[in-house]
Amino acid sequence: MKIDLRVNGKAQTVDVDPSTPLLWVLRDHLGMTGTKFGCGIAHCGACTVHVNGSATRSCVVPVEAVAGADITTIEGLSPDSQHPLQRAWLELNVPQCGYCQAGMLMAAAALLERFPSPTDEQIDAHITNICRCGTYQRVRAAIHRAAAMKKAAAARTA
Amino acid sequence: MMSTIDVSSRLTRGERALTAATSLTRRDFLISTAAIGGGMAIGIAWPSAVKAAPSNDPAVAPTEVSPWLVIHPDDTVLLRSPLPESGNGSMTMAALLITKELRSDWRKTRVECISLNRDVRSNHVYGAVKGDVFSFAGRSTKDTLMRLLQQVGASARERLKVAAAERWNVPVSEVEARNGLIEHARTGRSLRYGELAADAAKVKLDKEPDIEPLEDAALGNIARGKIVDAQIVNGNAIYGIDAQAPGMIYGALMQSPVHGGKLKHYDFEAIRNMPGVLGIVVIDPSEPRKRLDLPLQGIESWAQSAVVVVAEHYWQARKALEALPIEWDDGPGAQWKSTAQLDQALLEALEHEGEKIVKDEGDALGALAASERIIEATYRTPYADQAPLEPLNAMALVTDDRVEVWHSGSISAQSFIVAAEEAEVPFEKVHLHQCLVGGNFGRRNFGDDLRIVVAVAKKFPGRPVKVIWSREEMMRQGRYRWHTAGKLRAALGDDGMPRALQARICQTGYGVAGLDNVAYTNGLIPNVRIETREIPIHILWGSYRAPGYNSYAFFVESFIDECAAAANMDPLEYRLKLLEKHADPGWIKCLREVAARAGWGKKLPPGQGQGIAISNWGNWGSNDPQAGTTAAVVAHVEVSRSGELRVLQLDIAFDCGRVLNRDAVVAQMEGGMLFGLNMSLNEELNIANGRIVEGNFDQYPMLRLADTPRLNVHFGGLTGHARYSEIGEPPVGPVGPAVANAIFRATGKRIRSMPFRKHDLRWT
Repeated sequence: MKIDLRVNGKAQTVDVDPSTPLLWVLRDHLGMTGTKFGCGIAHCGACTVHVNGSATRSCVVPVEAVAGADITTIEGLSPDSQHPLQRAWLELNVPQCGYCQAGMLMAAAALLERFPSPTDEQIDAHITNICRCGTYQRVRAAIHRAAAMKKAAAARTA
Repeated sequence: MMSTIDVSSRLTRGERALTAATSLTRRDFLISTAAIGGGMAIGIAWPSAVKAAPSNDPAVAPTEVSPWLVIHPDDTVLLRSPLPESGNGSMTMAALLITKELRSDWRKTRVECISLNRDVRSNHVYGAVKGDVFSFAGRSTKDTLMRLLQQVGASARERLKVAAAERWNVPVSEVEARNGLIEHARTGRSLRYGELAADAAKVKLDKEPDIEPLEDAALGNIARGKIVDAQIVNGNAIYGIDAQAPGMIYGALMQSPVHGGKLKHYDFEAIRNMPGVLGIVVIDPSEPRKRLDLPLQGIESWAQSAVVVVAEHYWQARKALEALPIEWDDGPGAQWKSTAQLDQALLEALEHEGEKIVKDEGDALGALAASERIIEATYRTPYADQAPLEPLNAMALVTDDRVEVWHSGSISAQSFIVAAEEAEVPFEKVHLHQCLVGGNFGRRNFGDDLRIVVAVAKKFPGRPVKVIWSREEMMRQGRYRWHTAGKLRAALGDDGMPRALQARICQTGYGVAGLDNVAYTNGLIPNVRIETREIPIHILWGSYRAPGYNSYAFFVESFIDECAAAANMDPLEYRLKLLEKHADPGWIKCLREVAARAGWGKKLPPGQGQGIAISNWGNWGSNDPQAGTTAAVVAHVEVSRSGELRVLQLDIAFDCGRVLNRDAVVAQMEGGMLFGLNMSLNEELNIANGRIVEGNFDQYPMLRLADTPRLNVHFGGLTGHARYSEIGEPPVGPVGPAVANAIFRATGKRIRSMPFRKHDLRWT
């Protein structure tokens, strides 16, 4: 079945079984491997993408459910790897093996859209992705750092 | 296939070989070829000039100065690492060691892994595929490996200097190398490495240059982060699961749910017409195969009896596998009906003398029999899965003249061997694309995922096949941290200190590292007896972030705490007193540092407590007291009256001798502490009718950000001793006992088994 998608602002048409999870359509049919497979049951969050701006675990979303929706993946988080979160992640050396980090970044980006200066409690509540390497303390610090960067940039342009 | 003894001897030998020398002759540094015959770049963003095919135009053609490094006319330096990157920074570390001596510009540095195929085809230019599979694996701070990489950089630097001196017609002693430039101070001239590389490649040195001693934090001053991080944050990093090739097809795998069982029957007709299905491959480990005379021994690695459904797309393969009727002959493993049955077997065995006496110093049994002050406790740790977040997977393309594989294995040479063995071809035909490793923790040392995909790809010659394990398949087909029980008995003297210790260990794996080689059992307690017994069981086991140690540190440090309590002494003071005569000052230094930093002994509200523990990993049974890495942890916990545990803070002090990159060490310490915490609080695999019960993170819980305590890493335990011991595994050990000891101080309850979440911690 042909399904129309909009991924990182670009129109795409895929011919797949409509029950195929969005994750595998992205990875296997569109060749976009930045979004990761970790558990397949929406527990680990490695597959997190934005669907119409909301952080969504793509391993359990049938592609037919997102036909026509705006999908953003890690490849589309910023055009130049300069999203404040990406900069903060490098500044604080957040990644270890890095496999969970795309999902972590996408979850954090959605959080910052909703709460531009999130509290620790808000971070705890919204960032529930699994990192087996144990980067959590740096993830928290980098989210705060990115929030501060965004705020400073907003102050400069105001 | 069920020969666990073989595995243990292999593992042990391999681990010991971590310290074995890697010899490389001087000649190796001098070889230079015009061809770009290196490995496959992984996860690195290439400037467009580098990405383009090699050109003969001297204005853009890169120069291979040695097999280890290529310099481009635009000054981009491509370094080749013998170590893959699994998150611990090994690949960056290798590149930094070369860069330090090369004095090149780090911002223009790229890294790829060495080509093992080239190594076998060109007289071992890397010295990789000879000797032992571990020569180029394990920690990145092995003395021999560090010196080799520094020499690679120094050699190339000197040749660049000679090339510049010749061009200027000045003595080479007058030129200096600095940040990618060769400079002649007297005349103010300079040349970029990119301008000199072609000439430097032709230089033959009369004598290899000396390498500089490494000062503290030398590498952290060049770069703090890992070289792959920029690609990780924008999704461009390529892990094994991300490898792509034109025309690739996919496999979904199921192995015998009871390890060691056999495939009895399956019905292909039931799925033949499902969308995309191309076929089924049956993996039969008993199938006879050609014995290859390979010049390198790997770690024992075998496949289970399995079926693989192959389809055009992965989800099609998964759906078809789920729909496939399969019957298994469970084999003898099915006799293990439950975890309780295994526990019972272990606990019963603890009542009898061990089958091996690992250590018997003084007269422990006599001292125990004569003593009236006996402390006794039994501890247990369950099966646990490494659970790296990237599921096991591999891709292979088999054609008449070559076997090409893409793999996120943690030991390139192991992947290389497994591919050759399973394809039944000599090394010369094997081409390995070493990909980034999405977490290892010991699980990716084996290459069983690669073995399976090569077996499948042989049935689809000319087509790249990728097999991806589901999380459930991976968790139930592990190489686990084994199930262990230990009974410890001590006789306390009049001063409350242990005069004798007897440890009886019963387990489903092998080894006592972390028990027989720690300070207490090496001269500090005068009478020591350690006995072990192995319970033969079908469940496969392997390395898991410090195998053995992660259990024994819990046993020993909980028990020492129980002795301190019985002696009515402060747990810190008790340990300091016990360690008074220890030849390694690092232990006491770490204890004092972590206690001071964590505010040991401060007044806490009811329901809160601090606990302390210390251990050492990585000394490999060395008699040298200053070996391995000592790590001491203070845990601060809070337990509500209803029994809810919250770990508030973990402080760690450590002594690995010296440190080259502080932030990289901090990252490993933080991660190691959380790994140890998750292991202690959460991890447990259960058995039902021979099968592993837990299959995914809903049943095998993982700490999340909200559960993360404050993690503090302190450097004041370092002794400055001339070693750079490992840092990834040591922090795992002391966390569990520190937390258990803190729970005791908060609630009065002793926790003697993992996972802690299963204990009733209510208090009044």
